[in-house]
Amino acid sequence: MEENKKYWKSFDTSGREGQLQPDSGGDQPVPDENSPVDNLNRRTFLKLAGFSVAGSAIVAGCSRAPMDNAVPYMNQPEEVIPGRGYTYASTCAACSARCGILVSNRDGRPVKIEGNPDHPISKGGLCPVGQASLLGVYDSKRLQGPQINGSAANWADVDSGINSKLNEIRANGGKVRVLSHTINSPSTQKAIDDFLSTFDDTQHVMYDALSCSAILDAHELTHQTRAMPHCDFAKAKNIVSFDADFLATWISPVEFTKAYTSGRSLENGAHNYSHHTQFEGRLSLTGSRADKRVRIKPAETGAVVSKLASLVAEYAGEHYRHQGGTLPVDIHLLEELAGKLWQGRGQSLVITGSQDVNVQTLCNYINHLCGNYGSTIHLDNPSLQCQGSDRDLLKMSDELESKSIDALVLLGVNPVYDLPNGDVIADGLKNTALVVSVGSHPDETSELAGFVCPEPHFLEAWNDYEPVNGLFSLGQPAIQQLGNQRHAIESLASWSGQANKAYDAIRSGWREQIFPHQSAHSSFDKFWNVTLHDGVSAVTMNPRQVSAFNRNAVKAPTAEPRAVENGFELQVIASSSMLNGEHGNNPFLHELPDPISKVVWDNYASLSPDAAERLGVEEGDVVNLNTGSKSIDLPAFIQPGQHNQVVAVAFGYGQSGSARFGDIGPEWIQGKPTVGDNGLIGTNVAPLMSLDDNGLAFTRSGVILTPTGRKHYIATTQRYDFISVPEKLRPPGAGVRAIIMETTLPDYQHDPSSGIHTPHHPDAQLWPDDHPYEGYHWAMAVDLNKCTGCSSCVVACQVENNIPVVGKDEVSRGRIMHWMRIDRYYAGPHQSLPQGDDVDVVHQPMFCQHCDNAPCETVCPVLATVHSSEGLNQQIYNRCVGTRYCSNNCPYKTRRFNFFDYKRDDDSQNLMLNPNVTVRSRGIMEKCSLCVHRIQEAKINAKGRGEPLKDGDIQPACQQTCPAGAIVFGDSNDPESEVSKLMHCPRAYRVLEEINVRPSVSYLSLVRNRDASGGGYHG
Amino acid sequence: MADVYSTLRKPLVLDNKGPIDVTNDITSALESKPTGLWWFTFLFSFSLLCVGIASASYMIATGIGTWGLNNTVGWAFDITNFVFWIGIGHAGTLISAVLFLLRQKWRTAVNRSAEAMTIFAVICAGIFPVIHMGRPWLFFWILPYPNLRGPLWVNFRSPLVWDFFAIATYFTISLLFWYVGMVPDLATIRDRAKKGIRKAIFTILSVGWSASFRVWHRYEVLYLILAGLATPLVISVHTIVSMDFATSVIPGWHTTIFPPYFVAGAIFSGMSMVLTLMIIARKTMRLEHYITMGHINSMSKLVIATGGMVGLAYATEFLTALYSGVQYEQFVFINRAIGPYAWAYWTMVGCNVGVPQLLWFKGVRSNLAFVFIISLLVNVGMWFERFVLIVTSLHRDFLPSSWTMFKPTIIEIGILVGSFGLFFTLFMLFIRFLPVISMSEIKGVLGYGRQQAGGAK
Repeated sequence: MEENKKYWKSFDTSGREGQLQPDSGGDQPVPDENSPVDNLNRRTFLKLAGFSVAGSAIVAGCSRAPMDNAVPYMNQPEEVIPGRGYTYASTCAACSARCGILVSNRDGRPVKIEGNPDHPISKGGLCPVGQASLLGVYDSKRLQGPQINGSAANWADVDSGINSKLNEIRANGGKVRVLSHTINSPSTQKAIDDFLSTFDDTQHVMYDALSCSAILDAHELTHQTRAMPHCDFAKAKNIVSFDADFLATWISPVEFTKAYTSGRSLENGAHNYSHHTQFEGRLSLTGSRADKRVRIKPAETGAVVSKLASLVAEYAGEHYRHQGGTLPVDIHLLEELAGKLWQGRGQSLVITGSQDVNVQTLCNYINHLCGNYGSTIHLDNPSLQCQGSDRDLLKMSDELESKSIDALVLLGVNPVYDLPNGDVIADGLKNTALVVSVGSHPDETSELAGFVCPEPHFLEAWNDYEPVNGLFSLGQPAIQQLGNQRHAIESLASWSGQANKAYDAIRSGWREQIFPHQSAHSSFDKFWNVTLHDGVSAVTMNPRQVSAFNRNAVKAPTAEPRAVENGFELQVIASSSMLNGEHGNNPFLHELPDPISKVVWDNYASLSPDAAERLGVEEGDVVNLNTGSKSIDLPAFIQPGQHNQVVAVAFGYGQSGSARFGDIGPEWIQGKPTVGDNGLIGTNVAPLMSLDDNGLAFTRSGVILTPTGRKHYIATTQRYDFISVPEKLRPPGAGVRAIIMETTLPDYQHDPSSGIHTPHHPDAQLWPDDHPYEGYHWAMAVDLNKCTGCSSCVVACQVENNIPVVGKDEVSRGRIMHWMRIDRYYAGPHQSLPQGDDVDVVHQPMFCQHCDNAPCETVCPVLATVHSSEGLNQQIYNRCVGTRYCSNNCPYKTRRFNFFDYKRDDDSQNLMLNPNVTVRSRGIMEKCSLCVHRIQEAKINAKGRGEPLKDGDIQPACQQTCPAGAIVFGDSNDPESEVSKLMHCPRAYRVLEEINVRPSVSYLSLVRNRDASGGGYHG
Repeated sequence: MADVYSTLRKPLVLDNKGPIDVTNDITSALESKPTGLWWFTFLFSFSLLCVGIASASYMIATGIGTWGLNNTVGWAFDITNFVFWIGIGHAGTLISAVLFLLRQKWRTAVNRSAEAMTIFAVICAGIFPVIHMGRPWLFFWILPYPNLRGPLWVNFRSPLVWDFFAIATYFTISLLFWYVGMVPDLATIRDRAKKGIRKAIFTILSVGWSASFRVWHRYEVLYLILAGLATPLVISVHTIVSMDFATSVIPGWHTTIFPPYFVAGAIFSGMSMVLTLMIIARKTMRLEHYITMGHINSMSKLVIATGGMVGLAYATEFLTALYSGVQYEQFVFINRAIGPYAWAYWTMVGCNVGVPQLLWFKGVRSNLAFVFIISLLVNVGMWFERFVLIVTSLHRDFLPSSWTMFKPTIIEIGILVGSFGLFFTLFMLFIRFLPVISMSEIKGVLGYGRQQAGGAK
């Protein structure tokens, strides 16, 4: 990968800054400004895209000349060979965590995003949202150009319209507000500041739809700096999380997953293996990985944190008394936890996702007492990934309500949709003289904006980010802009009266602000080019001033509100695919099964089995959630492991934009629509949240649930959730299936192979052993102990292998096409069926096991699935007639059949198809190929270099993206390869080994940091 | 019955028929205009066939997704129907070949229509392996012939390829057997036909039959050879069909009992279908003198015998699963009996093991209405046997994460209905245009149970 990484060479070769020339001279195809992008077809697209992306992206932005003909290159651009892929380092802007990415580019179009291994935030990992965000480039339903009052316009008219109004405001000294999510781009921030500096009464309001404002506010109280601490999970031996879903949705999940798994290494006796306790009401992905999971209502968090703080304070000899009545948890548990925290001082981490500032300050207090500041928590170089302020937001919302704002610029935000008082905001917008929306898609807010100034996709534009103080990450365009959008920096600049190109602004900003702080490079050009190549540069910035801990800020949390009779506590949660709702237009993410519930294309009212029984509802029964003032209807979903008085609902659904998925999926007489009765995907839960002096609250007590008697079908990818078979169907003495092998840490330390049950099986074979595997024998190892179930591999595989989206109805019929799935099983103690509502969760990635004795191969009548000399089970699409016999005979059921011609919901999405992977037509079987095209490519490259293939040269898409490093691919014939070592380690086993299909995929047992169970499972 | 002289055997043909009566009785139906009952049955069957054609066309045009299949359950109605119809076809060969070799003379009255039933059932069955493919237009890829596709060869390890050979052989032999046996009768029709298209067609079909001694001799020898060739097919076809399942690794499929179990089941269902058809033909074509209660009685006994074998197989499967100690195997059978498809399992057991026990009673065997209902129920049971076997084994196999349910769509039901439409349409055409009873053979048994050979007159 790295060898192929290229930085733009096309500009500035003459050293003349600002006069950028494409290296291909005048051969650049330049798009016609009037070209109808809506009618984008392949030919037009290629005309638009051209081959040398860099130069064209810049030049086209500067001078759009009318074009009549597409002209072939007179001179081939340097290093560009048609049909060969290149990767460019960039930065993911799918959320505000800013992971480093490498964009694979083929023939001028990005076809895949991978994690950048050199990036300190993500270290090569990428989350499902990042993986899926590539689709956004090819989304033809994006805003393609500026609009005035809802009708298409050109930029000159938009600018003159906006500027004339702004000049009026400047003259009158009116109020100007900029509303955005967290901006951690120094250049964008500067553009906003420059823009606002031309007015008198201004404010830049940042908010996060999934607000973490309380954390920052708490640090303002305790450390006199309003900052998000940068947490280091790798160093933490004791992790206590109060409802912070840090492995999936909280602040910077990829970074945290990397660190978390590195802190749970089983090497060298596993002495530093961390212990993770999770307190939560719903079952989160993070909770599913916890060694100890305790169910508490969100409203009870304060009491538990407070009690824990008092216990830790006792150890520290400080005085803090928890005041309160009964604790919702076992006091011994907290005592034990406090002891552990105190013993492992400086090596623990206590975090909470609570939006209650008092709970957060208590949390800071515990961390302070345990000496975690400076060791696992860094405030001097804080994280800039979440900077929103709910106070500012509330203030602005009040101003809007009182109609005192004259101009409002909305930068990529949709407050009408994602704020609890969206209706008030909408009203305010209607009464604001100038509303400018800078976003990517038409949404609830842009509908109300007088001027809509769309931004390009982050893969089409230059960007820079500073996710952590002093860490600067660059984003570069990987394709020529497909529409007539304009960078926010450019828009703001032209309204500040100093029109500037984004690239120039970023470069000059870096020259002035960042370059002086580094010492590695003497010339700015060198610094810039190296940063561009690497994607990231760490610079020593001035650390933040952090005051000593202010003990007086610690207050007992606000008392738990009185529970309403029969009331539930509503908890609005972030879904790991929708996050803040920004990606509601992405079908990959809608069809990504929720890592826990496995539900697709919906949000739902998640209830514990007990609560559902009390209410008398079953899965799919529509219930009404009433907060007293507002109510919404949602289908019920029964979630084991959830608190009995909590109803959890995912945020980010029910956007107006999701109406586009009305006709996704195949159309046939019994086909059902993907959208619900409201014509949308899911229901917006924001109206049930609250925004007041305490900030944006995601929980609410006293919500009344009433069954409506209506039904709404919920599509899940897994219908049976347990490793053990149903009680009444259990054969005598054999309820548990030996699919998951797990053990406890003490057992593991005593015997590393504990928990592994190796079945005795005969080696008799029907067919001759005709595959000697003389060269390579590809194999894979999956570490169940590392896998968090985040499902990033699922999306990576989908993008890499051109896997179609099938729609909700098809999923509900059991026809999802994902080659990679994550089986999620619930279990009770000793893997039996869960007793009560406390469950153990295990995630098992499952995909074609590439069996050496593949049952699919012998049954195919037409030899469409055959064995390679390197141990791969190959599917030959052209040869397949679709008998489905192979799938029936697959013990793992990892084969996928094209029941229909699954079209992309948008023709332009065909442009992101990976040219190395065949697109399958209907009637054909498909399945994981272990990314055979990557194997071939690596072999060809190695041959070209005249070197043997090295271990690690080949990384299938799933392995590459895995933030936990749970997947390892390699040659099992090479005893030194990583995969060989893992395959032969004591924890290794193969699923269903007893049927002698000899899978090439090994799994490594799961180790829970708990008291010894006495040898784990023996079936 | 005054003409009956034997006290040991009852005559096979009642009412003291002579050869000319036989010819008249059987050909008159073909030479007169069809009855209203025939028209009604034919049109009804044909409309069912149209439903099937429409459903299958829609399916082929749209995709296999119009069936209720999913990633876990890759076969359901399609292969159920296939195995069901192949099973139906079995009785034809059994009656015509095996009973011929065993000198069971009572077969003469029913063998022609049983063979026709075989042909039509195999046609119905043969449709399913083709249309169940994702790309049925490429079905010829499972045929091993020198080709320009590489050349690519078929996979001789795949039971589906064995299936193709087994069914193609079976169909060819059955068709030849049926046709050869029909030649003397076709000549009779030719001779009775006046000039015209009818005469021309039957002249061609009867391939110059001259009824000379030498022709009769060659005919008898050929018929015997074909009977000998067809006999092993009774065993082989369903044995090979059963290997589609038996050679797999799926619990509930992977079992060595399947070949005998399938053959017994096939004969069982075939006999019931023959009973169903005979009772209808007897009634609608007024063939009471030829298809007598004795025939019904004999076939009922065969149904009890084969039903017993099937019941034994069901029990053995449970015993084997219990004895195996393999939890997956055990689970499949527990799941069949009390899992979500228990209703289908108990329908199968009830119809195949319970209901036929009534046939032990002579009163039941001699009551046509009872026998007719029982034969229908056995067919329902045998359809469910294949459904249970295929769907309950697949829907909950090794990994619980893949467990799912199968629910048919209207398209699948339409195709099932259509296959019955095709079968009965063909059968109605058969009884309209070809002699339902082998005249030449029945004439040879007229003296059975009487003193004088060749009839009383």
